[in-house]
Amino acid sequence: MFKEFAKGLSITLKHLLPGNRTTVDYPKQKLEMSPRFRGLHRLVPDQHREKCVACYLCPTVCPAKCITVESAENEKGEKYPKVYEIDLLRCIFCGYCVEACPVEAIEMTGAYELANFKREDFNFDKERLLKN
Amino acid sequence: MVNLTIDGKEVTVSKTATIYEAACEAGVHIPVLCYAKKLLPYGACRICLVEVEQMKGRLIPSCTTPVTEGMVVTTTSDEIVKVRKTVLEFLLVNHVVDCPVCDKGGECDLQDLSYEYEVVTNRFEGEKFDLPTDEVNPLIERNMNRCVLCGKCVRVCDEIVGYGSYSFINRGFETKIATAFDRGLNCEFCGQCVSMCPVGAILPRPFKFKARPWQLKEVDSVCGYCGNGCTITLGTKDKKVETIRFNDKTGVNDGNLCIRGRFGYSYVNSDERLTKPLIRKDGELVEASWDEALAAAVEGLKQAGSAAGVISGARLTNEELFLLKNLAAAIGTDNLDNSGGECYKGVTEGLQQTLGLQASTATFPQVENCDAVLSIRSDFYETHPVFGMVVNQAVRRNNAKLSVIADKRGKFTKLPNARTLLHKPGLEVNILNAMARVLLDEGLAKTERLNGVEELKGALADYAPETVAATTGVDAEAIKVAARELAAAENAAILLAYGLPYTAASKELGIAAANLALLTGIAGRPGSGLYLCGEKSNSQGAIDLGILPGAEGMGVQQMLTAATENQLKALYVVGEDMLSSYPDRDAVEQALSKVPFLVVQDIFMSPTAQKAHVVLPAASFAEKNGTVTNAERRLQQLRSAIPSPGEARTDFAILQGLLTGFGQDAAAAPADVFGQLCAATDQYRGIDLEMIGPQGYVWGGDILTPITRNLVPVAGTQPVDAEYQLLVGSSLYHSGTVSTHAKGPQAVVAEAYIEFGREDAKALNIQEGDLVKLRTDAGEIQAKAKVDRRLPQGVLFAPYHFGALKLNKLYRGQAAIPVQVG
Ligand code: SF4
Ligand code: SF4
Ligand code: SF4
Ligand code: SF4
Ligand code: SF4
Ligand code: FES
Repeated sequence: MFKEFAKGLSITLKHLLPGNRTTVDYPKQKLEMSPRFRGLHRLVPDQHREKCVACYLCPTVCPAKCITVESAENEKGEKYPKVYEIDLLRCIFCGYCVEACPVEAIEMTGAYELANFKREDFNFDKERLLKN
Repeated sequence: MVNLTIDGKEVTVSKTATIYEAACEAGVHIPVLCYAKKLLPYGACRICLVEVEQMKGRLIPSCTTPVTEGMVVTTTSDEIVKVRKTVLEFLLVNHVVDCPVCDKGGECDLQDLSYEYEVVTNRFEGEKFDLPTDEVNPLIERNMNRCVLCGKCVRVCDEIVGYGSYSFINRGFETKIATAFDRGLNCEFCGQCVSMCPVGAILPRPFKFKARPWQLKEVDSVCGYCGNGCTITLGTKDKKVETIRFNDKTGVNDGNLCIRGRFGYSYVNSDERLTKPLIRKDGELVEASWDEALAAAVEGLKQAGSAAGVISGARLTNEELFLLKNLAAAIGTDNLDNSGGECYKGVTEGLQQTLGLQASTATFPQVENCDAVLSIRSDFYETHPVFGMVVNQAVRRNNAKLSVIADKRGKFTKLPNARTLLHKPGLEVNILNAMARVLLDEGLAKTERLNGVEELKGALADYAPETVAATTGVDAEAIKVAARELAAAENAAILLAYGLPYTAASKELGIAAANLALLTGIAGRPGSGLYLCGEKSNSQGAIDLGILPGAEGMGVQQMLTAATENQLKALYVVGEDMLSSYPDRDAVEQALSKVPFLVVQDIFMSPTAQKAHVVLPAASFAEKNGTVTNAERRLQQLRSAIPSPGEARTDFAILQGLLTGFGQDAAAAPADVFGQLCAATDQYRGIDLEMIGPQGYVWGGDILTPITRNLVPVAGTQPVDAEYQLLVGSSLYHSGTVSTHAKGPQAVVAEAYIEFGREDAKALNIQEGDLVKLRTDAGEIQAKAKVDRRLPQGVLFAPYHFGALKLNKLYRGQAAIPVQVG
């Protein structure tokens, strides 16, 4: 009985040794996110404009209804999102928007440090989403 | 009837049905692409293939194959699915898959079918189409790279609209839909092709990138323009009307619309709408609160009492008209009227004297089955375009013989085998009289039960076809044949339109047409009918509800005279821009300047409103609830789709406010008032809002039997003797003055014009677009010239919609105005 106890404790002690840590010293140290991580959204830029063609699939699929798109016609007669906004406070990071997009114009990045002080700061408009 | 089995279900259908129609009846779904209910079967796409036991060995297109007794049909099997999938794959070989940016996405038949049949890969490869697109046209956007060659646009434009813009050009893989010489569209812009296209190849340009179909809220209402009363389904988003949706389930129009209905909605979103009440202070109109404005209006009208006048447009709802009538009673005046030129007299006096009725005797759909149609004066394609399409159906599908009594050529003239009795302006009555005479002389008239046969015979002594032919310029033989055809037809229709721009001899024309309807037996006979079609969406309602001068009261013309003579103390004008559209502008102007107190209720700051002491901002048709009655007596419901801009209120609410000011209780909602008005109006008694279903409710039933059968002699007129005569009328693209605020109609006809026939243009050395002047003793007008082939020599035409032209300086209600050019 004592033998088993010692064996168990030795495993615990082994884990206490340096080099066996599973947590990191956040925020001093940060983890590399898996490519599949669903963090802050990013609108993918194209040569002269955003890749998004304002097809309205992401706002339609979004279960939290937190995406606002307003389509319009640009000078070249193309469809583009005059408004593209995500209200991050309502987003549940399900990633459906990414899945729905027919032109791979929206992605989710590894960014997870999203805390902020003001409500407005959680409103990500087109410019901010393109910069991410 | 034929019995057959579809997917194990027994169905009995009429023997003219196709397998597809039988399946619909049995509730079995067969996919289609090129089929449309209102078009003739075509069989272009082969998506609707089914198996038939009796025709083993091949698949049968269900949309073109008629049913036969005992047929056993299977609509799905592995083989059928495989073939349908292959058909879709073929369609997708060259199709640009534009779905994300295509405005059809979400309601595209190709998209839906590809999804249903899980077409995710394509076994065939080919180059994607790269054809030029038409994005320039302000109303109709065409992108033939998305076309699936179903031919619906070609067919609808030919079969229904009768215009024929499109055809297939080239062969094989190169086949495409194009206009003549592959140029831009220059057509009626009715948008039927837009509504028919199953994919995004033809789309409404004003709706481009505005919204996805699933985001739109759909509200069924009634077109606010003409007396045809088409159902339009408003597609709204964010409290704005964004487009008109296709709807062939509701109403009389089978989903057909004209440019006004389909593209003329945008005025409701206009920035120029009145949003606040205005009161004149120190000579200036300044914004005021509703309380102030209503109090001022009540005060002014109260003081005028029996010397007040009330003039209404015929686009208010029945409920509003009823309140208006109550208001006139509360003011204590009998001076009430609804149209400047009293053009309704053909109905209220003409039909009243002859048939004892004040409405058309039959309904529109019946005309499709007529064998003979007589259209008088108006080209219905211009005044009531969708009724024009119905006549086109009669002509094309039923071989109806169409005779047109007209002073200018129009689209009716061009229909197959149409006979145009092209006459000198203003002589319609003479020709109708001659036709009546032919019937009597040749013993074709059904005179039993008619009163006044002998008197009429006597009165027609001077109207032998040959005599009339000499005065009117119409071939005597044509008059005779037209009369004989009308008498011989089992089902026949006589059509006459009335409206502000053609008020001359309204009553006489009504009587002459009714005489003919009696002599031919058309009036009251099932399947046949006499149609008097009002210009505005509720012209008939205004007559039914008696928005007419009371026993002691004055009509518009008398009110205007009275005002000029300082006899009228106040005038309340609702929904009419009298200055722009009423005959005799100078008289209207004088009257409006002289009347001491003028209240104008409108949605725009019209020239009339600018003269007012109180301006009340009202609501458009898209913001209202209520009922309207169309030219075939069909009551239909308007439904509010968007809120009014700013502080604008519905005419109903405004009238309530005024009635309250007069110490009267006004019912709370249009629905309550509907009950009251039905109780108070003979024809509407017993009608309930519930009875007004998707197809509306026709008061008096499909056929209205004449109460009296009196033939009344009417005298014709003499031709105007002048080298050039100006006709005033309505242009296809506009209706009244409101459409000049709508982007759609404005995109096609942006300003007034004066139309010349080719010969005249040549003789006068006038080119299209030249600035021309017309003069009479009353004044002169100036506009750009339009040169066309419609007009006979010596006849000019100008549309009356544009206030800026001041056409009514010359137009005082004459049938034709002698003018000098230059
Ligand atoms: S991640 Fe989900 S909730 Fe967030 S925006 Fe995308 S679809 Fe909406
Ligand atoms: S799904 Fe993609 S293309 Fe469509 S609106 Fe969203 S981001 Fe834009
Ligand atoms: S808009 Fe009407 S007239 Fe013009 S092409 Fe289309 S269907 Fe034909
Ligand atoms: S344009 Fe549209 S309606 Fe016309 S043939 Fe092509 S797919 Fe059919
Ligand atoms: S204007 Fe007349 S014909 Fe045209 S859509 Fe409206 S009701 Fe129909
Ligand atoms: S729907 Fe039958 S062939 Fe097109």
